[in-house]
Amino acid sequence: MFSTLLQNLFNALQWGSFYSMIALGYCLVYGVLRLINFAHGDIFMMACYFAFFIASWFLGNLAGMPGPIIFGLTMILTMVATSGLGLFIERVAYRPLRKKGAHRLYVVITALMLGFILENGNLAVLGASSRRFPDMFGKIVFQFAGVSLTNYKIIVIVTAVLAFALLNLIVNSTKIGMAMRAVSYDKFAIPLMGIPLNRIITFTFILGSSLAAVAGILFGMSYPVLDPYMGMIIGWKAFIAAVVGGIGDIKGAFLGGFILGFIEIIVVAFFPSSYKDLIAFVILLVILSVKPTGFFGVAKSTKI
Amino acid sequence: MMLEVKDLKVKYGNIEALHGLSFNIDRGEIVTLIGSNGAGKTSTLLSLSRLPQPDAPKVIEGDILFDGESILGTEPHLLVQNQMMVLVPEGRHIFGNLSVMENLELASYPVRNDTQFIGETKDQIFSLFPRLYERRKQRSESLSGGEQQMLAVGRALMTGCKFIMLDEPSMGLAPVLMYEMFRALKELNKKGITILVVEQNAKVALDFASRGYVLDTGEIIAEGTSEELSANKDVQKAYLGG
Repeated sequence: MFSTLLQNLFNALQWGSFYSMIALGYCLVYGVLRLINFAHGDIFMMACYFAFFIASWFLGNLAGMPGPIIFGLTMILTMVATSGLGLFIERVAYRPLRKKGAHRLYVVITALMLGFILENGNLAVLGASSRRFPDMFGKIVFQFAGVSLTNYKIIVIVTAVLAFALLNLIVNSTKIGMAMRAVSYDKFAIPLMGIPLNRIITFTFILGSSLAAVAGILFGMSYPVLDPYMGMIIGWKAFIAAVVGGIGDIKGAFLGGFILGFIEIIVVAFFPSSYKDLIAFVILLVILSVKPTGFFGVAKSTKI
Repeated sequence: MMLEVKDLKVKYGNIEALHGLSFNIDRGEIVTLIGSNGAGKTSTLLSLSRLPQPDAPKVIEGDILFDGESILGTEPHLLVQNQMMVLVPEGRHIFGNLSVMENLELASYPVRNDTQFIGETKDQIFSLFPRLYERRKQRSESLSGGEQQMLAVGRALMTGCKFIMLDEPSMGLAPVLMYEMFRALKELNKKGITILVVEQNAKVALDFASRGYVLDTGEIIAEGTSEELSANKDVQKAYLGG
């Protein structure tokens, strides 16, 4: 009994980590732009592919390098590539709309369409066959007290926590983080302080995309089958997790991811797995109807 | 002339808000724009600040010159970064989720490398508004309306701009606080800050400013020194309660 519980706990933490890292990306962009970046799940999907190509290249060309070094290099390059993609989307799709003062409905629709474009663009370029993520360093399985735990699972959980700690530090203890918090409260007054709003938005997209990149690599390592639609469901779930946690607050989005992870695993522990999403979302719906601002959300516009 | 506004026409969507406005301000002056609600006072300041639409109206004709050069194509943050002019907007727009001190620090972005100026300006702000010093660590959301207005003025000073535009600084303030605010602004003016203030409370504004313009439905209908305007029968009737 205890070992099952522990086993489920680790699984929940692992899935919670994926959801959290993606949820943070929704939360950050929402905080500064009041935009639900529906393309974010597909940015995560693209991050998986970037990581796939980068890791495969390293394994092919730098054979003999120790796994952790290849992992580190892949991480950095994937973050760069994914940030580039996030910034490209911001520049060509969102910024022109912002400049024209477009209604937010059009911006949200644009985000949705971008998601489809990324999915179908990927399908067109790479074809429908799914790819296998390479193994950067051997999977080690630890067995103790009837619980089996892999080094991958530990890396996922530890990295997610570290990434959040770093993000928290940036948002709460740096100048640019202060500016991000200020934007989330009152965007209007930012240029009046002589601060270029676009620079803060750029930085925010870099942060959100980098977190999606980290999630992409870790997800690819853990569930190594990639396909162009993999970002859709996980992206929506992460978005819901962010809202349930309280989308205006990075703590909320982070914990929201874990709440979803736990609910899913608990449901699977007691019901047939085909009931997973049904019951999980009913629970989330109940949570939201009790507390519509999410767990950590505040009714007032104090965001990020 | 430091600031010269020439035949300015602006639109919100299809509605023209200013129909050819001309006025000017010299360095060191205190000038006021008075007029009733909807006269176009806020539209004028927002146009000058060059904020993007839909925050500000669109300029369709005329020009705004700063030191003889048009600023129509200048991005709003550059006006502040280049120490030209800064707006204290209607409703203050302080960053309520930041502390008083953080608000001031954020506003020092244009002068971020000049630690001496930042230090001196903070001292100046806290001696002008001792209440802000008492509350410097408080979340600024929790300040009273008057204190928030003080903070908004303090932020404008932190940017290093020597020309400050204020949109209804007296709004929502108790009379005592209002006079305190105008006294502080007068003191700043003596130290070389040029001020353009928009006010609904014409009497207070004309007592404070040396010169003024009267705005009515997007047009200037009278101008002159404060004494002239205060003595003007029409202005008295419409804005000074007879």
